[in-house]
Amino acid sequence: MPIFRWGHAWDPVRDLEREVDQLLAKVSLFQGIRFGRQYPPVNVYERNDEFLLTAELPGTRSEDLEVLISAGVLTIKGKRIGPEGISDDRYRRQERPRGAWQRSITLPDHIREELLEAEFTNGVLCIRLPKASVTPPRQIPVINGNPV
Amino acid sequence: MTNEIVLTNASAPLPPPENPAEQIVFTPPIDIFETAEGLVLQADLPGVAPDSLELQIQDNKLSLYGRVTSTLPAESRLIHQEYQVGHFLRSFILSDEVDHEHISAKLNQGVLEVVLPRLPKPEPRRIRIQTD
Repeated sequence: MPIFRWGHAWDPVRDLEREVDQLLAKVSLFQGIRFGRQYPPVNVYERNDEFLLTAELPGTRSEDLEVLISAGVLTIKGKRIGPEGISDDRYRRQERPRGAWQRSITLPDHIREELLEAEFTNGVLCIRLPKASVTPPRQIPVINGNPV
Repeated sequence: MTNEIVLTNASAPLPPPENPAEQIVFTPPIDIFETAEGLVLQADLPGVAPDSLELQIQDNKLSLYGRVTSTLPAESRLIHQEYQVGHFLRSFILSDEVDHEHISAKLNQGVLEVVLPRLPKPEPRRIRIQTD
């Protein structure tokens, strides 16, 4: 049995390629977890008569914020812009995200879409989704049929 | 809606969070940019109301501590969570070029803006040389 074979011999270049590929795979996996999340993150709370959806959007002007509802899908859209007249080279530090974003959320069936309310306080958006009253279950009598 | 924040020159350190195990404290993201008059610092503090934000200057250290006040109605059960709610704490060392006496701050829709004016450069002073 030959120990070395053409094409299967130790090949530092290919090894390096494979290493790089693995490295890239790790990077994209990392990004998939870290940055693949939808923006903005939302929390959902439930009360007896309503659901509440909250999102942290500090510094977004209410005129740049849009809440739409259509066919059971709630869409929130917005953008955050930097201060006017300040070029990027003026920044000594820039950590706050900016730009435009959009997110759609499918609502549970029993929501009264026409009563939806949105409030923006201290940079936190809160959308109230009132629940529709669920019709009580109806008993259906089972009649004894005549045997054929 | 703009709210001015009163700067306190208190000597006491900022109060620690009541119960760190229950309440998370975040380091808020910030921007710092230069203007003709000095520096402007902006920090994201979503959920912090103007009366629950403390801003202190001690020596050359500027500290901010924002307590999040929940606006959720009672009996709200969390059923889906993508972010955590917590207080905000961060400190900065101010350079000597900042005029500490004229720092101003305001909080608007969860964004704190601190204006740090540049201290006017002192005029060169002539020192007289004496002879014995």
